[in-house]
Amino acid sequence: MNELLARSLEASTVFLLAALGELVNQRSGILNVGLEGLMLFGGTAAFLVAQSTGSYPAGLAAGIAVGGLLGWVHGLFSIRLRGDQVVSGMGLWILSFGLTTYLGSPHTGPLGLPRFPALLGLSPFVYFGILLVVAVWFVLSRTSLGLAIRSVGESPAAAAASGVNVAGIRYLCVVFGGTLAGLAGAAYTLSYNPVWNYNFLMGWGFVSLALVFFSMWNPWVLLGGSVLFGAMWQLSLSPEYVLPGVLSRYVWRTVPFGVTIAILTVISTPWFRTRWGLAKPQALGVPYAD
Amino acid sequence: MRIGAYRLSVERAEAPSPARVALGALLAVALALLLASVLFWTPESGPWTAYRIAFGYAFANPSGLGATVHRAVYLLLCTLAFLIPLRGGLWNIGLPGQVYAGALAAFAVPFWAGARELGSGTAGGVALLSMPLAAALAGAALGALVGLLRAKLAVNEILVTMMLNSVMFWLVSDFIKEGGAFMSATAEGESFTLPEAFRPPLPLGLPPSAFLGLAAAVVVDFVFSRAAAGYRVRTFGLNPQAARYAGIDPVRVSLWVFVLGGAFSGLAGYHYFAAVPGLYKIPTNYGYYGDLSFYGIICALIARGSAVGAVPMALLFAGLSVGGRFAQGALRLPFGVDYAILGLLMTTFVFSHLVDRYRVVWRPTAPAPTSAPPRPEGAR
Repeated sequence: MNELLARSLEASTVFLLAALGELVNQRSGILNVGLEGLMLFGGTAAFLVAQSTGSYPAGLAAGIAVGGLLGWVHGLFSIRLRGDQVVSGMGLWILSFGLTTYLGSPHTGPLGLPRFPALLGLSPFVYFGILLVVAVWFVLSRTSLGLAIRSVGESPAAAAASGVNVAGIRYLCVVFGGTLAGLAGAAYTLSYNPVWNYNFLMGWGFVSLALVFFSMWNPWVLLGGSVLFGAMWQLSLSPEYVLPGVLSRYVWRTVPFGVTIAILTVISTPWFRTRWGLAKPQALGVPYAD
Repeated sequence: MRIGAYRLSVERAEAPSPARVALGALLAVALALLLASVLFWTPESGPWTAYRIAFGYAFANPSGLGATVHRAVYLLLCTLAFLIPLRGGLWNIGLPGQVYAGALAAFAVPFWAGARELGSGTAGGVALLSMPLAAALAGAALGALVGLLRAKLAVNEILVTMMLNSVMFWLVSDFIKEGGAFMSATAEGESFTLPEAFRPPLPLGLPPSAFLGLAAAVVVDFVFSRAAAGYRVRTFGLNPQAARYAGIDPVRVSLWVFVLGGAFSGLAGYHYFAAVPGLYKIPTNYGYYGDLSFYGIICALIARGSAVGAVPMALLFAGLSVGGRFAQGALRLPFGVDYAILGLLMTTFVFSHLVDRYRVVWRPTAPAPTSAPPRPEGAR
């Protein structure tokens, strides 16, 4: 059971890292639906570099760098060129899906390195993720940088009028979001499941994206949601812990996705919106021309 | 940038001309092929050899040509499934899930008819018609769920369709693996083979779904360019707010574009798994066929929403994926050439999107003033 708990927390961390970056992204008004693609690329880069160099730090650095670079590319298209953010995100996702399959296929199989070092029985990413939640909450709600990020996400014109560099803040956020997506991919391929397989994420990035909506753009709610989804994901892989022999393992695999749809539906109802309110950034997904 | 007496600048083009749009599409495909040549580069052969092998197999080899045409029909149906919601401003990326739903529904017909146990059943016209109909209905039902959630509650359709893709992927496994209802009696991990009586006739070597796909492409373009229903969808896609003011019901539009899109995807699932000679089953690698449906997204985007314009695109991309995989084996290239081409095409599409939106402008620079202009009288 302890093993299940530890694995659940590790799965939660992958969701948390990716979703936290996207939360910051969205608070600045930029939507990146290609989050899964950034994770795929970051995870594949981390896996290939770690395998070829035998070094985890090198793999991590590669994952983060690739994620950040792709985040910047999304920013370039969305901020500088004022393109459709959905088109850019989908482009990044399909590009990543195609290219990582081609680049990673010769390396299909286990990483072949000693297990990622653990800290008190848990992956160090778990602690880092929690620290990051605190840091993101602090920056967003207690600093002038956070105020600038929130203001460009709500009303970029008003932010610009008060002297905020809208494009600069948005670039900062998309690159930050990209690096965290790359890190999430790296945490997946180096620590959580160090085996490369084509399209290894199979929806983790999209669940992370859904978690941002579920969190109502609040880092603490996001932490809770990630823990819930991590546990649910792990249970869907090992249903024998709760309901042995009930339904096939394939049906259990559908549960996290079905629950995601159910949650998205509930938080979109007028009842939920009026009772709890949705702190959706007003300028989310809208190109800004200064 | 100033070059001699001219100034070169990049400016935003608010309304790109049709010629510029067509140029952008052509550039996207050409650039993707150029970039893909890097993938085909081996010490033994250059990209030219690889392309010769790929296109030679896809379009000149009888067996390859058959595979290309069948795949093109599949891609065309997937293209229609993506294109119809797209004209309404909605993204249907649930093509794989709807394809799987269609395949399962199609195979449910012979299963209920007891043909699985018999190995060869007797099927009349009703059973043969029931299979594509069931497939289209299953895809439409999945689409309707997405459309309703989008229309009634504004639930993000990209997320819902992606979740449904995963749900349906695992449900197919449940049906064809580890003793699932549709599992083959002789092989683990794939469905029973469709009895001959349930296989559709092949006039001109093509299943009826091929003719249906082509006819549908013409009808879809006609509806979008000439019919009131198409006008309503286009208006809603371009400006939902204005559409509401004009009395267009957003619920009805969102629901119907997804129902139609889902139906075409379901039909695509029927086509590939139940109507293509040589397959007639849901194979172990069914996920590959689901992934291929994403080519439909690229076809629709590069054809800029024209269903008829997507026909040559579907044929080209079908040839590229069939031939690319053949060249991959012949030249011992790494797995996934067809996936990589898919990615490159999407990237170059995004690039072409920019070609549409921006234009390079040459302007003669104004001659520099030779002396200061005279001051008006009274000016200080």
